[in-house]
Amino acid sequence: MRFPRTIRRITMLLAAAALLLGVPAAVAAHASSTATGTGWIRLAHLSPNTPAVDVYLYSFGNSDAQIVLHHVTYGTVSPYEAVSAGDYSVAMRAAGASATSQPVLSTSVTIAADRAYTVAGMGPESGLRLQVLDDSLTTPSGKSLVRVIQASLKQQTVKFTCSCGGTLADKASFGSVTSYAPIPPGTWTMAAIGSSDKTSLPVTLVAGTVHTEVVLDGSNGLEILNLEDAAGAGLPPAGGVTTGFGGTAGHGPGSPVPWAALIGAGSLLALTGGLRLRRRGLGRQLHSEV
Amino acid sequence: MSFRRPAAIIFAVGLVVIAAGTAGLLLTRHSTPAMRPVAAGLEALPAPTGPIVAAPQSAAPHPVAAPVSLTIPLIGVSTKLITLGLASDGSLQVPPVTNTAVAGWYTGSPRPGAIGSAIIVGHIDTVNGPAVFYRLHELRKGDQVYIRRADGTLVKFRVTAVQQYLKDHFPTQTVYGPTPDAELRLITCGGAFDLATGHYLSNIVVYATEVS
Repeated sequence: MRFPRTIRRITMLLAAAALLLGVPAAVAAHASSTATGTGWIRLAHLSPNTPAVDVYLYSFGNSDAQIVLHHVTYGTVSPYEAVSAGDYSVAMRAAGASATSQPVLSTSVTIAADRAYTVAGMGPESGLRLQVLDDSLTTPSGKSLVRVIQASLKQQTVKFTCSCGGTLADKASFGSVTSYAPIPPGTWTMAAIGSSDKTSLPVTLVAGTVHTEVVLDGSNGLEILNLEDAAGAGLPPAGGVTTGFGGTAGHGPGSPVPWAALIGAGSLLALTGGLRLRRRGLGRQLHSEV
Repeated sequence: MSFRRPAAIIFAVGLVVIAAGTAGLLLTRHSTPAMRPVAAGLEALPAPTGPIVAAPQSAAPHPVAAPVSLTIPLIGVSTKLITLGLASDGSLQVPPVTNTAVAGWYTGSPRPGAIGSAIIVGHIDTVNGPAVFYRLHELRKGDQVYIRRADGTLVKFRVTAVQQYLKDHFPTQTVYGPTPDAELRLITCGGAFDLATGHYLSNIVVYATEVS
């Protein structure tokens, strides 16, 4: 009868100790999966016959805009802005329209930590839409990633080739976005070929970079806008670094875990001893009463 | 009485162990600098001067000059930057043991101030004492880091996070992977020192983003 009770108490104590030690460990592990808790967003105007717009970014449920880009014209892609992970909405208004006026278009976007997004006004003015693109922040080792956005209205369908020896898009229709293709580093000629116009652009790709090639209606016909979306180490080093010889080891704050474990073990001993003492004391009391 | 003694001893030992653990915890916590290192005064450096180049405003790629020196005023770091590649085992090279007072930039990573995560590595200590990044772990969100480039331009970064990772669980993608803005990664050793292998068990990574 007494045994199960003691065992139960010790089990509970162990569980409490595990919880005490385990929770901070779990929190630390979670923290290491994302460095800063921020993601990135950029805004683009890729609708050829839509006049300039003002673009607003709102943190969800907040009527004060976090970012406002004024007079954004066709072919403009903003730099990325780092924002806290969370839910946002993007609204487009005619350039110069009151910030409180009804937006022409709006869309919601969920920004995850360590992820990047492009919110682009796409399509013709009559069918303008805000499209949320998931931008890659990883590349295959030693390669670049390249995708194509076909934003030319004059050339409804475009073939997009790379002198690296590949066709990135065979028949990209207006307003479409290709998936990413891995391409070896080098300086390549990118070519956009429409039914009545074509253009080309030399693009240098460094390993570890992510690019978007945007096909635009320029003032002198078809144009290619080369965007470097992101860059990292082309050949990522393996693992961490070996940058210490121990001459100052022990001077730092060190980990609290061993001390916490010691306190836990001490508590266990004290409780075990205490329980035994109490039990014996109780037993004697009962004896004397009889 | 003879029955009670073991229980009493266990109880007493438990209390002593708790006291020891608590003392250890308090003492080691106390050794952490309670004040920001800037209060050290003498060791804090003035921010370097020169025209600060604006963060890239267009997503179109633009070339920037190679980095030549690094200044972190708050923790008294002012060093030239050497260039580092990869070791034969694929790990990052580190500054030579004969020159632990300098930090190095990994030439396989973006240049500081260009789009992407520029990687800079320095030693925490030598066998005898502190090295260039001994106080790196003292940096906090918002602290400033400066890089001087070969063309004389200065780029300013602000710390966004300081993380400590076990080398066995080093998040290579988070640290070395692509970023869509101009960022820095300052890396050194930290955590417990394994006397058996002669290496620290963890790395400290400071994340910083360019500010204009």
